[in-house]
Formats: sequence, C-alpha cells, structure tokens
Amino acid sequence: MYIYDDFDHTVAQQRVAEFRDQVGRRLKGELSEEQFRPLRLMNGLYLQLHAYMLRVAVPYGTLSATQMRKLAHIARVYDRGYAHFTTRQNIQYNWIKLEEMPDLLAELASVQMHGNQTSGNCVRNVTADHFSGAIEGEVEDPRIVSEVIRQWSTFHPEFSWLPRKFKIAVTGAEKDRAAVQWHDIGLHIVRNDADEVGYTVYVGGGMGRIPVLATKVRAFLPKPELLSYLEAILRVYNRHGRRDNIHKARIKILVRDLGPEEFIRQVEEEWEASRQSGVNLPPQEEMRIARYFELPPLEKIAGPVAAFEDAKKQNRAFAQWVATNVHPHKAPGYAIATISLKPIGGIPGDIAADQMDAVADLAERYSFSEIRASHIQNLVLPHVKQADLFAVWQALGKIGFADANAGLVTDIIACPGLDYCSLANARSIPVAQRISERFADLDRQHKIGELQIKISGCINACGHHHAGHIGILGVDKAGQEFYQLTLGGAGDETASTGQLLGPGFSSDGIVDAVEKVIDTYLDLRQPAETFITAYRRVGPAPFKEKLYGAKQ
Amino acid sequence: MALNSSRVLDRNGPITDGWQRLADDEAVKTGASALVSFQRLKNEHNALFAEAAAVGVEIGGDVTLEELEPFLPRLGLIVVRFAFMRDGRPFSVGRLLRERYGYTRDLRAVGDFIPDQVLFLLRCGFNSFEVGPNFSADALKHGVAAYTVWYQRGVERNQTVAEMRLGKAKEQA
Repeated sequence: MYIYDDFDHTVAQQRVAEFRDQVGRRLKGELSEEQFRPLRLMNGLYLQLHAYMLRVAVPYGTLSATQMRKLAHIARVYDRGYAHFTTRQNIQYNWIKLEEMPDLLAELASVQMHGNQTSGNCVRNVTADHFSGAIEGEVEDPRIVSEVIRQWSTFHPEFSWLPRKFKIAVTGAEKDRAAVQWHDIGLHIVRNDADEVGYTVYVGGGMGRIPVLATKVRAFLPKPELLSYLEAILRVYNRHGRRDNIHKARIKILVRDLGPEEFIRQVEEEWEASRQSGVNLPPQEEMRIARYFELPPLEKIAGPVAAFEDAKKQNRAFAQWVATNVHPHKAPGYAIATISLKPIGGIPGDIAADQMDAVADLAERYSFSEIRASHIQNLVLPHVKQADLFAVWQALGKIGFADANAGLVTDIIACPGLDYCSLANARSIPVAQRISERFADLDRQHKIGELQIKISGCINACGHHHAGHIGILGVDKAGQEFYQLTLGGAGDETASTGQLLGPGFSSDGIVDAVEKVIDTYLDLRQPAETFITAYRRVGPAPFKEKLYGAKQ
Repeated sequence: MALNSSRVLDRNGPITDGWQRLADDEAVKTGASALVSFQRLKNEHNALFAEAAAVGVEIGGDVTLEELEPFLPRLGLIVVRFAFMRDGRPFSVGRLLRERYGYTRDLRAVGDFIPDQVLFLLRCGFNSFEVGPNFSADALKHGVAAYTVWYQRGVERNQTVAEMRLGKAKEQA
C-alpha cells in the first residue's frame, strides 16, 4: 500500500499545526462558530446530538495493521472504546472532545492518517472497490488512480469551497463493487481498442432526496489526461453549481438543469482550454505511485489445497462461511476473506478496540498486514492463503466476527440514525438489529440468498436505501418514527433506484413487512433467481398485493 | 471610497491604498483612481477611462468573464466579492483571470472570507484583500505560512510535490 514520503509527511504535519491553531482561536473566541464550522468539517469533525463526531479517512478503504492498532488506541484514549465503519469506507468516533482533537490528529498523522476532507463542501475521501488488487479481471488496481486523486484533491486551492460535497469512486473491474454510478464522479477503468488504459467517466450520480444515477459523460478518457479533465468538471461545477439552496447544490442538479448535453459541452470546452496547462500528472509520478500497489510477495501454490478442501468437508459452519465470506483471489491458493461486522443483533459497522487489535493481528499474520474497509461496512483481509482460512475463521469466531452472512439478508447497511446523528428523523440501528434477529437462522439466510437491505434514518440517504434491493427510509410523521419501503435498488454495474412500494410502516411493523417481502420472493422465485433478478422480472405488484392487498 | 472601517492588506500585512469606491451616481474626481461597479463600467467606460487616473471594477463570483474581457487591458484593479464566506466562485474567477485572460494587475478579494482562506486565494492569483475591522492581520500572516508544499500548481507557478519528487529522483540518479 502507499507509504508517505517526506513531502506527504510535511503536508500532514502542517495540517495538524494549522488545525491546532484554528482550535486555539476558536476556544479563545477569535473564530466564531460559523467561521470555524467549515474548517472543522474539513478535518472530519461534526457536532452531533450528544458530542463531537470525528470521521477519519481510510483512503480507498485500505488500512495497514499498524493503522488499525492506532485506530484502536484512539478508541480507547479519546473515545469510549469503540468506533464505526461507515458506508464510505471511513471510520467514525462518536464521543470526541474538541480540545483533544489536535493531539488526536497528531496521533493519526504518525501513522499516515487524517480526517482531511471527510466532510465539508470539498472533494471527499475517494472510494474504491474493496477487493482492489486481489480480485481477478481488473484492468488496473483502482487504488493507484485513487491515490493520485487523493493527492491532487488535498487542499486544492481552487476547489476547496464547492457548492456542496463531492464524492469520487473508482472501479477497475467489470463487476462494480464501488457503486460508481451513484457518485458525483464515477470512474471505471477500461481498455480501448488500441489497448490503452483510460476511464469511462460518469458524472452527477447521487442519493439524498433526489436519487439520480450518473450520466456517462465520456466513454474513454486517456489515462494521462485524467486530472485536467477532473479540473474541467469541477470548474464548471464550482462556477455554475447552485449555492442558494443546499438541497439543489449537488452537481447532479447542475447536470439536470443544464441538460446532460449542455453540461458535457461546457466541460469539454473548459477542458480544451486548460488541458495543456500542466495540471496532468507526470507519468513518472504515476509509475512511482503504482509501485506501492504491486502484489505482496505471494507464494506459488499449485493445485487444490488439501487442508482447505478437507476443512470444508469436515466443518459445515466453516463451509458456509467460505460460501459467503470468501472470494477467489487472482493468485492460485489464495483467497479474499470478508470479516462480517454484522453479528446477529449487532450494530452494523461497529467495532470495539479489542476487536480492532485482533483484526490487526490477523492481518499481520495472514494477509501481509493489509486490511480493507468496504462500503458495506465490513472489513476484508485481501491476501489470505486458502490453507490459513480455517485458522482465520476460528480466530474471528473468538471476537464474534465469524458470521457467514456476507451479502445475505443480515449483512445490513445502516446509517447511525437518530441514535447519534443530528440530521436524522428516525432510528436506523434498532431496525437493523431487529431485522437481523428475525433472520438469525443461518440456513434460512443461505436459502434466501444474496440480498442487500439498506437503511437510512433520513432523506440524506447515508444508509444508501435508494440502492438497496430492499431499502428502508426512516421518516418522522407527527413525532412518530415511520419507515418507508423501497424495492429494486442496486449499486453495482446494473445500478438502479429503488421504487417506493406504498405507505410506510411503524417501527414495529417494518420488520414484519420486510419478512413478508422476502417470503413473497421465496414463493415466486425461479430456480437460482436472486431477490433482485426476481424483482426485476415480476415488478412490484406481487409485493404490493401481499403487503397492502387486504387494505386496498 | 472604501468603507471607513475597512483596510487593505497584502500577504505581509496592511498596505496603503489609493482606490476610491464610487457609488453608481457618484461623480469621478478627475485624476483619482476610481473603483466602480461592473454595470457602471459597461455603461460609462469611455468617460471613466477619460476622467479617472485609473479604473478598477468590482465583480461577483457569478461574473461572465467574456463580458469583462474587452476592458481587461485598461483595468488597474479587479475586486471580486465573496457573497458569503463559503462562496467558492472567486477562487475560480481569480485563476481564470490570471491564467486564461492574462490579467496581471491588482486582484483583490472583498467580503466575508476569513484569514484561513487567504493562502488559497493567493494561490488562485489574488494579491490584495479588503477586510473589515474584525479581520485579524496576524491570523492572515500566520495563515499564509501554514503550508509550504503543494500537490497542485498554483497561479504563482510553484513546483508541485510531483515535480519536486522528480527533481529529487534526478539528483539521486
């Protein structure tokens, strides 16, 4: 993974010093809260319902064991012993004291981490496929360009005060695990007919109250010209995006208001005028960064691994875990292991300090010290020998993270909701917990198959409900928590927006409603049909009938 | 005339400033340096350039630069107003004026920006700052020294981190 050089260290240290000064001026009253707010947000610090919340960037979801241990240390010393992995591959602490922030940031900087641009109206932490560099069939490891973008977007002089937040995601494989079409800019690394590497560029995707799938603005952008093209997009947005209404300030609204054709014309015109201005990265620098993402020194392993095959035969629970939580690695004899942060009845994405340390130990021992955070709020050990999987699984069992539910009904995404968040209208976590408990039976989960439930506690959609096969949106109805159900959303290469099924359900009723939807699917599915393929075949009617039929 | 309570700073601190901000119906004093609205510049540019010793214009972040372009060679000052603190448009306007339109004279920010934003404004081509009484010149001086290396090239044509890395690599070769 990427390692800072002296220049990166200098930038990181200067950031800590700058924020130390800003906190000092705020505490002395030299900066008003209104002035300080955007400054603290650009360091990841929110003021929530009960305390300050800090969002630490995990660039493109890649973490080292050393960094994970530091995150555990921070949970113990500066917070209440736990933290929360988010839907943007970041990690959040919920009980931070403002006056301790400068020291906390200095600790993060000591392991090459930061809270830069995890909030605020700037280019946010870039996200990428959590299987990057380990999965078969990538044109290129998306973390290379993600690191290029991280550096380019860090404290950008022109684009640090955009109309609204700006999210970029990258995928390098045909199978899209980064939900690129749901981002302000989505990049899909492709190869053209001349065998050159470049990007298909999507712009203007986003969730929130107006869910929009991105527009493809360019089928092929040559790799060396990426940064000048990104600057052209951002300049058009920075100049012309709306600043009068926070709900209409995302780039998706500019694309819609101008119309995709006019938006593309303006971007191309801006690009033509500026593409030679020296913004593009020197190719040597791209090559320098790429070297950090070469595969670790894997062993050559030929043929099936007998110990692994035997363990699956002898232990059904292990075989179930392998079926859902293990993906094939591009190197024979290796595997990608998903650590489920979704124990039955648990809080999706939450992890205690001791569990973080244990994951760090496992990464060191079995995965070349590398860990990934996924936008599904799980962790990944990307380079595990098949022969070690049984030991990994047993060790995970000891910390309560061996659930064989990755991609299944209890692998629920949920935002923090009204338990923590000052924007929320309803609680998300208890709904996730009750659905998880309802479907605790693992055989039943495996029978239901691949299914993504995503829960947001308000219309801002941090729980990605628009992209859930089953989406749940918490709303406030005259002081009562209500939950709307959407079906048919997806975040992958077949991205689609979930459709509202009908009137909402009470907090008690929503779990029954979800179960009815799933039972309906089980009744009507054809062999080997997943929930989403079945829904796309039959549409909402059978589900509506089952849920509302008697009332209508 | 500039507001009584306002001051003009550059990156080193307060500077003396001879520009007089004129209301649209205020007469130009012959031989004075007149700062006018863009509307007035469009309407009265012949008279303004004839009477004033120098002409400056105040624009907003929403300016159409193509409209301003014909006047650029004769302007001595362009003031870009922040509509509010988080208004990011002046950053693009500054960079475009310097890099695309080749404007070389005084480029000034005015409005609700704070000292912590000045370094980025300098990097986008601004060189002076009209500020209110509560704006701390000390904080500005401190803020412009906050960073010494950059991943991006600014209007001041600094070496980027990538270029410094290349230079270092060549040295070592």
